[in-house]
Amino acid sequence: MKRNLWCGLVITLLLISSAYGVKVGESAPEFQTTDSNGRVHTLSEYRGKFVVLEWHNNGCPYTKKHYESRNMQRLQKEWTSKGVAWFTVISSAPGQQGYVTAQQENEYLKQMNASPTAALLDKEGDVGRLYSAKTTPHMFVVNPAGVLIYDGAIDSKATTDQADIPTAKNYVSQALEEAIAGKPVSTPTSRPYGCSVKYAH
Amino acid sequence: MLNRSFIQSLGILFTSTAWFISPTPGSADQPADEHVKLELVSEQDVLVPGKDLWLGFRFDLQDEWHTYWVNPGDSGEAPGIEWQLPAGFQAGAIQWPYPERLSTPPFADYGYEHQVLLMASVRPPAQLREGETQKIAARVRYLICRDICIPGQTQLELSLRVKSGAAASPAGELFRAARARLPRPAPPNWKISAASIRDEIVLDVKTIKSAKAPQFFPLHAEQIENAAPQAVTAFPGGIRLHLKKSKHLLKSIPRLEGVFVFASGKAYLVDVPVFQSRRSGHTQ
Repeated sequence: MKRNLWCGLVITLLLISSAYGVKVGESAPEFQTTDSNGRVHTLSEYRGKFVVLEWHNNGCPYTKKHYESRNMQRLQKEWTSKGVAWFTVISSAPGQQGYVTAQQENEYLKQMNASPTAALLDKEGDVGRLYSAKTTPHMFVVNPAGVLIYDGAIDSKATTDQADIPTAKNYVSQALEEAIAGKPVSTPTSRPYGCSVKYAH
Repeated sequence: MLNRSFIQSLGILFTSTAWFISPTPGSADQPADEHVKLELVSEQDVLVPGKDLWLGFRFDLQDEWHTYWVNPGDSGEAPGIEWQLPAGFQAGAIQWPYPERLSTPPFADYGYEHQVLLMASVRPPAQLREGETQKIAARVRYLICRDICIPGQTQLELSLRVKSGAAASPAGELFRAARARLPRPAPPNWKISAASIRDEIVLDVKTIKSAKAPQFFPLHAEQIENAAPQAVTAFPGGIRLHLKKSKHLLKSIPRLEGVFVFASGKAYLVDVPVFQSRRSGHTQ
């Protein structure tokens, strides 16, 4: 009986530790999520392309820093035009800041002139928890082989001030540029900065 | 406080403008100072030429709101202070009281609820004329969060008269309370060491027999998993705290710096090299 209890505990601990399992250099976990137009996306269907995941909350001052300055839209446009798949992921639970319906998200994308490949609606927080997404924004880059090559902040200046953007080092662009040039990513992880992701309690 | 009400009315002005142009439904375009009162206070009522003076930034937060420690943890941002000092004045570093662990499962932040005083010493030059008044000012940028976050910034100032002898100010009690929360150097008979073993950094403290619910707060981000439980085990002559390494830690860390806090509220500074255990099968 006691032994079973211990086995159970060990298995639970293993499950918990695998929850921390998204690591740079390892395979990015597969997901299946519906976007704001009702289309289902899986990570594996983008094998052969670089993929960017951008955690998003339209009311968070750190997200607003990068949208009201048009920085995020510029990055989306630049990288999708170079064949990168860019997913905005919204893990806010219903009733929490940043939660949007499909229609509200489409209006927002239009209003902000944002052009991600798709906006994934993750109100249950499954994709967020799978990737341990902590903040908005929190950025991930996956290479064409499906390996995670960047996990962290959007850039090097952890503030809400738009004036910091031009002098900050953008880690997402840096990771993509280096990886496309066949070089190792010089900053593969950093502390993501922003508001906490508003998961369901 | 004329200055404050001026800033507040500015805040209202900005809010109403933001309301019209706000492109984001459901966003929190309310000024942060509706939820926090910020003040610059001095431990002494006067300035003594050439003598350190303790000043403090006092945050008085509404219930449920918090601001952040120097390492904010998984989200958030520490307050930033830009001094505007008269010529010849020098400010020391902010002394951060130990924080609370603010749990937002599956993550954790480090910060302060209710009230906190962020102290710093300021040294005026030796050649100041008695009787003159000096203005010390600072711009504070901060983030406060509840379920939502609001950034704020405030200009604070304080005028002090130069006198040859010090006189305690009514704010003295705030400083005494804040000092009780500042981490101090560990007693010399303690032996603190750290080692990297597999997916843990273990922190050993020798010559203390037991400790009720000690907690370690890392000074640097992305060294340990902030929300992971910190298990305590005993060994002959000491205790061991088990810290789970951050998944963002791709290289071994040479030193572990932070604050070790006991349930009693006593807090000690930790700054030790991290021994790389051979038992550790991989560097991660």
